[in-house]
Amino acid sequence: MVWSPNMHRSLLLLIAVATLAGCATSPVQPWQRGRLARWDMRWDADPLRAAMDAHTYFSKEGTTGAIGAAGGGCGCN
Amino acid sequence: MRLAVALSLLLAATAGAVEPGAPAPGFRLPTFDSQQPISLADYRGKVVLVDFWASWCSPCRQSLPLYAKLREHYAAADFAIIAIGLDEDVADGKTFLAEHPIAYTTVQNPQGDIAKAFDLKGMPSSYLIDRDGIVRARHVGFTPADIDVLKKEIDGLVAKHAP
Repeated sequence: MVWSPNMHRSLLLLIAVATLAGCATSPVQPWQRGRLARWDMRWDADPLRAAMDAHTYFSKEGTTGAIGAAGGGCGCN
Repeated sequence: MRLAVALSLLLAATAGAVEPGAPAPGFRLPTFDSQQPISLADYRGKVVLVDFWASWCSPCRQSLPLYAKLREHYAAADFAIIAIGLDEDVADGKTFLAEHPIAYTTVQNPQGDIAKAFDLKGMPSSYLIDRDGIVRARHVGFTPADIDVLKKEIDGLVAKHAP
């Protein structure tokens, strides 16, 4: 069997269609959110760590407004 | 044409949802304590509030004690509450019930198939079912003000005679 550009295209199409199947998962239903509701599933599961991260980020990015504060300061706190 | 497409999309979106006026899907589920199965059909002839809850759902924590008071209010009437716990891990539901004891019937459905049959749109959800087994009201979410609305709906349904 000789490898032709047409076969190449067919293979690409097959991979693309197979990848699309990954989008076919059903959404999480309201009664299935028990795991998502767990405390350790939060973005900031550790409040102390979150506060420290926010402080570091604010210190570095203060001039651009950082996390919600108005920008334009020296960013040196 | 556009209208037809919009209508078909709307129908597809609402397909399966248990709306007021539709018969309530039947169920037979074990209770949390005795494992004795409870069937919705056993309650035919009574007005029933079917409430779906889970230990991780914070509005449910607010609703369960208020539903207990509601049941006390209608103690002399043909009114019952069946709470369906949807915790995937039944132990979580049991722990919750040990901390917040509930006087009315509480059954478990860790597989969630009954929640799927009712096609819940949010947590908590409650369905008010009349004496004939027809859903007459649906409440998604919970605020304490819902109790007054429920009382009006229950009064209307309890006043109707049994078939």
